[in-house]
Amino acid sequence: MQKKLLIFLITCLFILSILLGGCTNLQNKTVTTAKRYPDKPITFIVPFGVGGGTDLVARLLEKTAPVHLGQPLVIINKPGASGTLGWNELASANPDGYTIGITGTELLLQPLYGPAKYHYPTALEPLAQIVSLSMVMAVQSGQPWQTVDDLIAYAREHPGEIKYGHTGVGGLGHVAGEAFAKTANIHLEQVPFQSGAEATASLLGGHVHVVFLNPASIKEHMKSGMVRVLAVSGEQRLTDSVYTSVPTFKEQGLNVVYDNWYAVAAPKGLPLEVKNKLVDGLKTMINDPEFQKKIEQLGLQVNYLGPKESEERWLSDSEKLSKTVQETGILDKIKEQKK
Amino acid sequence: MDIFNMLLQGFLVSIIPGNLLACTIGVIIGTLVGVLPGIDTVSAIALLLPFSYGMDSTAALIMFAGIYYGSKYGGSTTSILINVPGEAASVVTCLDGYPMAQKGRAGAALSVSAIGSFVAGSIGIIGLTLLAPPLAQAALAFGPPEYFSISLVGLIFLSKLTGTSTLKSALMAAVGVMLSTVGLDSLSGISRFSFGIDELDRGFDLSILAMGMFGIGEILTTMTQLNTKTNIPSINFKDLYPTKEEWRRSIVPMFRGGIVGFLVGLLPGPAATISSYLSYALEKRCSKNPNEFGCGAIEGVAGPESANNSAISATMIPLLSLGLPFCGATAILLSGFMIHGITPGPGLITEQPALFWGLIASMYIGNVLLLIINLPLIGVFVQLLKTPLNILMPLVAALTLTGAYSINNSILDLMWIVIFGILGFLLRRTGFEPSPLIIGLVLGSGLERGLTQGLIICNGSILAMITRPISAIILSLGALALFYSVAKWISRINCAGKKANC
Repeated sequence: MQKKLLIFLITCLFILSILLGGCTNLQNKTVTTAKRYPDKPITFIVPFGVGGGTDLVARLLEKTAPVHLGQPLVIINKPGASGTLGWNELASANPDGYTIGITGTELLLQPLYGPAKYHYPTALEPLAQIVSLSMVMAVQSGQPWQTVDDLIAYAREHPGEIKYGHTGVGGLGHVAGEAFAKTANIHLEQVPFQSGAEATASLLGGHVHVVFLNPASIKEHMKSGMVRVLAVSGEQRLTDSVYTSVPTFKEQGLNVVYDNWYAVAAPKGLPLEVKNKLVDGLKTMINDPEFQKKIEQLGLQVNYLGPKESEERWLSDSEKLSKTVQETGILDKIKEQKK
Repeated sequence: MDIFNMLLQGFLVSIIPGNLLACTIGVIIGTLVGVLPGIDTVSAIALLLPFSYGMDSTAALIMFAGIYYGSKYGGSTTSILINVPGEAASVVTCLDGYPMAQKGRAGAALSVSAIGSFVAGSIGIIGLTLLAPPLAQAALAFGPPEYFSISLVGLIFLSKLTGTSTLKSALMAAVGVMLSTVGLDSLSGISRFSFGIDELDRGFDLSILAMGMFGIGEILTTMTQLNTKTNIPSINFKDLYPTKEEWRRSIVPMFRGGIVGFLVGLLPGPAATISSYLSYALEKRCSKNPNEFGCGAIEGVAGPESANNSAISATMIPLLSLGLPFCGATAILLSGFMIHGITPGPGLITEQPALFWGLIASMYIGNVLLLIINLPLIGVFVQLLKTPLNILMPLVAALTLTGAYSINNSILDLMWIVIFGILGFLLRRTGFEPSPLIIGLVLGSGLERGLTQGLIICNGSILAMITRPISAIILSLGALALFYSVAKWISRINCAGKKANC
C-alpha cells in the first residue's frame, strides 16, 4: 500500500515539475526567441499551385534567403479556392515570424464576394511588396484590330461576338475585362479558364478573340509575333522591352487601371523585433540586382514597397476593387449564383 | 538533314560529363519516384528544385526532365507485384499485371513493361525531334468544344475495361463524373458540394483517389486474406524474362501503345493516365481473345505501359515549342526552367539551340539508361515478393500516406485517401471495379468545362458545337463505334433467340 502511494506521489511530482518547467520555458521563450530570431527555418506558404507566378517568385526568394534572413525558407504550397486555403492557414498561424507567406490581389478580391474565414487585409500584415504588374489585353496577331478603338468599333457592330478569356471568375483578369467593357460601353462574353496556359492556347487556336492575362504568360508569344497586345492596364507602360511600345488603356482614352501585385505577409501581431528583422532582410533581398534581373526574366517587374506603403496600397486597392465589382455587376452575378 | 546536324550537336552537349551525370541522377530519382507508391512526380521535382540552384542550367533541366520521364518507367513495378499502382498512370497495369504475377510471370510482366516503355519512349522522342512545331500548332486547333467531344467519347469507351457488367461499370463512371463536380466551379466561381468544408473547394485530386481506391484498398484486401499465404510460385532465373510467345504477343501492342500515347499527350489533361486507359481499351478490342484480359493478358501490360511513356514525351511538345504546360507535371517542369532563367516558347529552338537539342539528346540517352537500370532491377524487385505481406504492406501504406500528404500538404487529403481506401475495398468486395471511377473523375471535369466554355464560344448553340469539323469527326467516330457495338449485341441476342427456337 505504501509502495503504491509512493509511486503515486512521485508520479505527481514528476508531472508537476514537467508542467512547471513547461510553463516557465514558455514564458521565457517569446523573449529569447525574439532576440535569437531566426534560429530555425522559416515556413513560407504559397497559396497557389507549383509553377504559378507566386510560386516562382517565392522560389526566387528562397534562393537568397539563407544569406539575408539567416535561415532558409521552406516553401509549402497550399493551393485551392483562389488562394483562400493558404491564407487561412497563414492568418491562423502563430505570429512568431516562423510562418510567412506570399499574397496577391485575390487577397483583396475574395472577401468582397462572400464571407471568408478571415478578413485578410486586416488579419494579415504586409512585410514587403515584391512586384507590381499590370494586366495585358492581347489578341491573335491574325486579327485585324490594331488598337483598342478598332476592337471597340468591331464589338459595337457585332454585339456579343467577341469572347475574352481570363483565368478565373472574380479574378483580376475578369475584373479588368468587365471594367474595360463597361468603360467602352460594349458587351464582351467572358470565358473562364483554369490557367494562363489554357487561356493562351485558346487564344492561339482562335477559340477566344481576346485574353486578359498577366504579361508573363504571353511574353514569349508576343516576342515571336503570334499575339498582339493592344493595351496595358497600368498607370504607366510596362518597362519590359517587349512591352514598351504598348500603350496603356489610359493613353487610349479609357480609364481602366488595375495592377496586380505580390507581397510577402505575416499573421498580424509579430513582435516588433522580429518584424524589423524580416522587413530589413526582405528589403535587401528584393532590391538585390541579381533578384531583379531574375524577376524581369520571368516577365514581371520589381516594385518594392515597405510595410507601411503596402498597407496603404491594400486599403486603397480594396476600396477601388470593391467599387468596380459592384459597378460591373460581377458581385451581383456571383451573389446570385451563391443563393 | 538540318535536324540531324542539330541533334548531333545536341548529343555533344549532353555527353559533357556534368550533363551526363545530371541525366543519370535524374533517371535514377525518377525510377525511385515511380516505384514508390504515393510519391508524386510533381512533389518530387518541387522538393528537388532548391538543390538545383547551384547547378548549371542545362544540367538542371536535363535532370528535371529525367525525373519526369523516368517516373513513368517505375510506375508499373508495384502495380504488377502487389496490385498497388505507383502512379495514377499505372492503375490500368494492375488489371493484367497483377494476375500475371500471381501466375508466376511477374518477371515477364516487368520486362515487357520496361522494354515497352523504352520502345514507346523512343517513339515519343523521335516524334518530339521531328515534328514538334507543326504538331504543337495542330494541337491548338483543339478548343473547348473538341475537348468536350473527346471526353464524351472517351467516357463511353473507356469506362468498360474489365469483364464485369456494363451497368456496374457505367454506374462507377457516373459516380466518378459526380465526384469531379465537387469543388470550385470555374464558370460561376462558387463552391459546389463542399458542405462548408473549405478544403473541398480544391476538388478531389486524381492521385488521392487512385492511391486510396487501389493502394489502401488493396492493402485492406490483403489484410483480410492473411491466411492464404505464399501461393507465389518460386521463380527461376529463366522465368524472369518473357518467353518467345509472350514476346510475339507484346511487340505490336508496344508500338500501338506508343502511337496512341503520343497523340493523347499532345492534348491538355493528365495525358499519361488517359493514354494508358485508351491503350488498354484498344488492345482489348484488337485482341483475338479478349476474354483473357483481366486474367493476365500480356498485351494489357505492354500496351498501357508503353502508352504512358510516349505520352510523357509528347507532353513536352506544347511545353517546349509553345511554352504552354498542359498538365501538372509539365507545369512544375516549366517553373524549373524559368527559375534557371530559361523561358520555353516559340523562340526557344532558335534562341537557345544548344540547350534545346541538348535536352532532346539527353532524353535519348536517358531512355537507354533507364532500360539499363531497370532490366537488372527486375530480379531484385521480384525477390520483394518473398517479403512477408505483413511486413511489406504496412511499409507500402506508410509510403502511400506520406506521398499523399506531399501533394497538397493537407491533412484532409489523408482522411480522404483512407475513406477512398475503405470504399475501394468494399466496392471490390461487392463486385464493382473501381477503375471506371478514376476515368470518370479524369474526364468528368474536361467534359463539364468543355461544355460550358464551348457553349459560350459557340453563342450557346449546342448544334454549332458538335458541327465544328474536328468535333464532328470525333463524335461521329464515337457514334459509329457505338452503333457497331449495339448491332453486334442485337445480333447476338437474335442468334440466341433463334437457337432457343430451334
